[in-house]
Amino acid sequence: MESQNRLWRVLLLALPILVFSVLVIWPLLSSFYYSFTNWNGFNRDYEFLGLRNFAKIWTDRLFFDAIVNTTIWMAAALVLPTLTGLFLALLLDRQVRGARIFKTVFYLPICLSAIVVGQIWIWIYQPDWGLLNTFVKLAVNPDFNYAWLARPDSALFAVIVAWSWQQTGLSMVIYLAGLTSIPSEMLEVCEIEGATVWQRIWRVVIPLLTPSTVVVVALSMINSLKGFDILYIMTGGGPFNSSDTLAMHMYNESFKKYLMGYGSAISVVLFLIALTIIGVYFRQLKKVDEIYG
Amino acid sequence: MADVAASVQDRFNPWPATVFVALCILATLFLAPTAGVLLSSVKTTRAIALGDLWSVPDRIYLENYAEVLSNPAVHRYFLNTLLVTVPATFASIALGVLAGHVFAKLPFRGSNILFLIVVSGMFFPPQVILVPLFRLFNGLGLIDTLWPIILVHTALGIPICTLLMRNFFAAVPNALREAALIEGANEWQVLTRVALPLSLPALAVLATLQFTWIWNDFLWPLIFTQSDDKRTIMIGIVNLRGQYTVAWGVQGALSLVASLPTLVIFLFFQRYFIKGMTMGAIKG
Repeated sequence: MESQNRLWRVLLLALPILVFSVLVIWPLLSSFYYSFTNWNGFNRDYEFLGLRNFAKIWTDRLFFDAIVNTTIWMAAALVLPTLTGLFLALLLDRQVRGARIFKTVFYLPICLSAIVVGQIWIWIYQPDWGLLNTFVKLAVNPDFNYAWLARPDSALFAVIVAWSWQQTGLSMVIYLAGLTSIPSEMLEVCEIEGATVWQRIWRVVIPLLTPSTVVVVALSMINSLKGFDILYIMTGGGPFNSSDTLAMHMYNESFKKYLMGYGSAISVVLFLIALTIIGVYFRQLKKVDEIYG
Repeated sequence: MADVAASVQDRFNPWPATVFVALCILATLFLAPTAGVLLSSVKTTRAIALGDLWSVPDRIYLENYAEVLSNPAVHRYFLNTLLVTVPATFASIALGVLAGHVFAKLPFRGSNILFLIVVSGMFFPPQVILVPLFRLFNGLGLIDTLWPIILVHTALGIPICTLLMRNFFAAVPNALREAALIEGANEWQVLTRVALPLSLPALAVLATLQFTWIWNDFLWPLIFTQSDDKRTIMIGIVNLRGQYTVAWGVQGALSLVASLPTLVIFLFFQRYFIKGMTMGAIKG
């Protein structure tokens, strides 16, 4: 029996593990390898540079900008969708009329591609007839004209809003799932004991939602670290690299300037950031599991 | 029972009218971007340029859709996207089923670690494997074909498919498997005749998720293809921006047409979609 099981394990796992190893694990490891070279993407040959690519990182002004932008991008992409998602989930948990339709509306953007979302928001920010400027013209100043995506001060934030619009539904869904596990008897007891609505939300509901918050926070960070398509279509990292994140920078160095060795060094940095987030995430999950069962 | 439910609702929601109005306002704000594209797609370029984008048209102008649907490049983009999405969705689910079954029903020493390694694959930014994969497929002469996109999506789908299938298979009672084994079935028959027929909901969840993700993908076709007749629809949107620079209505129509398959899937299989999103997120 056991020998048969062993045979079946090998037979069933062979293909998935082979594909995963060749196309995910091996490239991951060789990314480290190429980060020590100056491969240009075309020639078969390359030279070993040792740690020179990593030394270059420290002097690369664009890399520094990318780190700053990534930090802003990740922080904002963490706070905005999490808070709006939580707010929507709390509203929708109250069995309001039409809750089903509202939910569909809020998570509809999830099924759109980042390219289409970017395209939609390019229209909103369009200086002459976009929704945003039309509104400002009507409400404040009829001569208002501001190219949101073409100004270094606003480009990154403009994309962050578009990104949050798409991601809010995801955190709302996770919070809604978390809310179903809070027994309504508990809330009733709180009310009988005289807790106000705010007290119930701040002191009972939000603390009990900690497991969902851990998931939402980790997922938002990971997703925003991956975020590339929407920046590519809306700003291309510009103007003047003001919306150039690490993922964008890595692409530009590797596939625009064909510095694939240097691009690999940037991807190693990306990998280490992701690894840190995942490590903390798994740890928190374990902790949450122990506390909340 | 009815009035108990009503009283719970009252306790839960002290201001149903306020909440309802707040939700209506938020929903309008949320829909505005999509509504704008829909409106622009049924207007003439001239009407949009005159600043008339946000009014409801008195006549629906369908020329933009006709332009998009009669463009042979768009046909090619759609065909390519289908040729990538369908096989990659199918293959990644098949591989996830195989691995998920082993992790759920045939655990071995170290299988938990292996499972964790596979699953963590879904958390890493794809940029991390970009350069080596480009070199690999360049060396194989497969750049500018659809093969690398199919293969990479198959591989990148393994983590989520394995995770969901393992969790689903783990919930199938062991007694079913043992009964089948006693009756002389082998492991393959247990998987295909016993476990799989029970797991149609999980397969539906994965099919909707994988189809949507692969259809919407932009990065891999951007890296692996160069010529216009190998591009997928999301690249096509970007490419055609040049051709339809100020034809905003045509661009809007194109965006909507390109999103139609995933929109339809989402609206019809919303339940599965949401389930997959939450399951993948929480059990991860």
